[in-house]
Amino acid sequence: MTTIEFRNVSRWYGNVVAVNDITMDIGPGVTGLLGPNGAGKSTILHMIAGFLEPSKGTLALDGSPTWKNPDIYRRLGLVPERDSVYAFLTGRQFVLATAKLHKLPDPERAAQWVIGLTEMAEAQDRRISTYSKGMRQRIKVAAALVHNPEILLLDEPFNGLDPRQRLHMMDLLARLGNEGRTILFSSHILEEVERLSGTIQVMVAGRLAASGDFRAIRRLMTSRPHVFRLKTSDDRRLAAALVGRDYTHAVELTSKGLQVRTSDFGAFCEQIAVITRDENIRLTELLPTDESLESVFGYLIAN
Amino acid sequence: MFNPTVASITARATLGRRRAVLFAIPAAILIGLTLILRASHPAGGAWPDHVLGDFGFSILLPLTALIIGTGVLGGEIDDGSVVHLLATPVRRAEVIFTKFAVAAALTALFAAVPELIAGLIAPNETKLAFGLFVGAVVGSVVYSAVFVLASVLTTRAIAFGLLYVAIWEGLLSNFVGGVRILSIAHYALGIANAIAPDQNLHAGLGLATSLILAVVVTVGGLYWATRRLEAFSLTGDPA
Amino acid sequence: MPTETPTGVIHDLGYRRYDGPRFGRQRIVAALAWHSFRSAFGFGRGPKAKIVPVIAFVALLLPAIVNAFAMSQGNARQVDYDTYVPTLRDLIMLVFVAVQAPELVSRDLRSRVLPLYFSRPIKPVDYPLAKYLGFTGACLVMLEVPLLALYGGAVANVHGGSAVWAETKALIPGLLIGLLWAVTLAAISLFLASMTGRRGFATGAVAIAFLLTYTLAEILLQVESLPGSRLGGNAAPSVGIPLAEKVAGLFSPFTLLQGVRLWLGGTNAGDNVPKPGAFGAVYALVLIALVALSLYGLAARYRKARLS
Repeated sequence: MTTIEFRNVSRWYGNVVAVNDITMDIGPGVTGLLGPNGAGKSTILHMIAGFLEPSKGTLALDGSPTWKNPDIYRRLGLVPERDSVYAFLTGRQFVLATAKLHKLPDPERAAQWVIGLTEMAEAQDRRISTYSKGMRQRIKVAAALVHNPEILLLDEPFNGLDPRQRLHMMDLLARLGNEGRTILFSSHILEEVERLSGTIQVMVAGRLAASGDFRAIRRLMTSRPHVFRLKTSDDRRLAAALVGRDYTHAVELTSKGLQVRTSDFGAFCEQIAVITRDENIRLTELLPTDESLESVFGYLIAN
Repeated sequence: MFNPTVASITARATLGRRRAVLFAIPAAILIGLTLILRASHPAGGAWPDHVLGDFGFSILLPLTALIIGTGVLGGEIDDGSVVHLLATPVRRAEVIFTKFAVAAALTALFAAVPELIAGLIAPNETKLAFGLFVGAVVGSVVYSAVFVLASVLTTRAIAFGLLYVAIWEGLLSNFVGGVRILSIAHYALGIANAIAPDQNLHAGLGLATSLILAVVVTVGGLYWATRRLEAFSLTGDPA
Repeated sequence: MPTETPTGVIHDLGYRRYDGPRFGRQRIVAALAWHSFRSAFGFGRGPKAKIVPVIAFVALLLPAIVNAFAMSQGNARQVDYDTYVPTLRDLIMLVFVAVQAPELVSRDLRSRVLPLYFSRPIKPVDYPLAKYLGFTGACLVMLEVPLLALYGGAVANVHGGSAVWAETKALIPGLLIGLLWAVTLAAISLFLASMTGRRGFATGAVAIAFLLTYTLAEILLQVESLPGSRLGGNAAPSVGIPLAEKVAGLFSPFTLLQGVRLWLGGTNAGDNVPKPGAFGAVYALVLIALVALSLYGLAARYRKARLS
């Protein structure tokens, strides 16, 4: 049973803050680290894996820091995002070498076990340079698992995998999580994360935006207000007409047009044409302004 | 201290495919040149000094050491595969020492040994050949330590290393006296000169100075490299 | 029961087509060449990328500065325009092209951006052409600016129109030689660097190609020029310089350039290359062939827009 503890952890590079005051605990089971690109997910994973030093705060693995501490690797495996492995080795040689580096008592057996686990037995004697992207991912996972670690960190493990490979990887991770290991993986696709993990940590712009059960977070997200920008022949009159409706959250008159916040996407879309026609207002532009994942996350931060 | 697994991977990576050709060529040229010149000038003369000294020692040795030394660790750092090595409980000192040992051995193989062979082929130069061989082995060791250190400090190790070899070693240290204590080539030359004294080697340092400096630079370099590797950071997407 | 056919519609999000005038190939090549020129000095990347080019440039400029100072003390011009300081220039340019040529071509191969370039309206030959133009320009700056600085320093210290004219007359051939150098070095180094996407490997390859051949040629030249070292069995050549010595100069781009310079009428010795006389035509031919082959190889490398 291992817990990873973050206490007010921050990491910055010069003026850029990559991770901002994160406090969280990661325990056994599968945890998903969700967030858009640049949110700091890789930074978090690298810090846990001892490849980055927190600029502030403490990060401890069962009490001891991970920075400059090669002994943690006896219990921890990392699957990095970058596609780089020793391409000139065969899959088997790579996993076997990793096993030997971990000073395992029976490296051959461990290697064979983990190659079977990741279904790489057929391809193990081919050079890694001939592997497809999915196979490379799997061999990286195999190497990270060969010493039977309690903690497994995966950086964007589903990147570039086709649906069947993704299912298989999810299966594998779910199984490992059920065995009591601590699995932490990162992704920017909500569906991937929700399928697999019980707990999610959502990161946006270096901050922890949400944590907990993914279902609760999902509910929050669908009930978020949508924002539209309209250009009409008479913004003020339209604003007055809209304020009276119950699906309108807020209305703002800006120099770029009328900004409407609505909590009922469907109703607004149906009604806007009717309203403008009834009020004799010409609608020249209607733009949704925040369909991006970032704004969704942004909304989560604000709440 | 020496890790056979790391050594095996490093040796395979360095000697794989096209890379080995790159540092086999200079060695082949050295030996070929010696053979040709011996055939055309059997009476000897000053050419062995030029070939063995200017070519073999001053150019072949540092250049080979540069390419091998910056490659043993630098290549893995550059493409990110070093993470797989570092995410294991292997002591960083072991990693540095093993890579250094492989680099030194390969450099000696591709630079010092051809130097010896060429020296033996050249007429009447056995003593010089032996002296240069020992000097080249020492040079391989010191250069490897420095270039492995450089590859931990920066991703542009080979660029700075080339600047050092071409400008510093090639030009300055021959003209400006005091600067020689900072020139690895001169440590090697000092040792070679002690074994086989030869005016044409232009060795500027004595045996004791050369040995002490060689040891200091090697040990210091490896120590510094270990400390830096212990603090190795993965900072996002490398350039 | 009628089944509903699913319908779909593409929304107008406000994207506009651009139907106005567009720049053509020439502008693209010019832009790419300018970008390459800047990359050769490390501009557009962080400060560490500028260290080697700046050091190289300053090192090459030093003799001009020292000369200006010496001349202000009343000495004659110490450095010639067409040879400058041969060994220094050889070594500095060697480092410059070995370190910077990979910056221009190997980086693009490594980060697999070639499809981005080739999906623009250019012909496959435009990319290597632009790289070559940019890098030749960079080498020109490295070679000609010191000459111009030398000229400026000299002109500031001589008196009288005829002296200035003499300086100018000496400068022009020097500039032309510099052009020849730039054209040659850029071609060879770019060709070698384009073989691989790994910067370090490319630097090593270019360094070996230039430095090794240079040392090889130098040794052959020095050895063959020693008295009593004629090639056994060879009939005494007409001009008194052994054939071996003449041929030795062909083995390295640097000595090749010196040979062509001497053949074209240069007077100063450089890199120990002897005056080739009529043999100089061979030097010129070999040089042209070397450059042509390098450029052909460079263009062939990019004929297909592969990823790497």
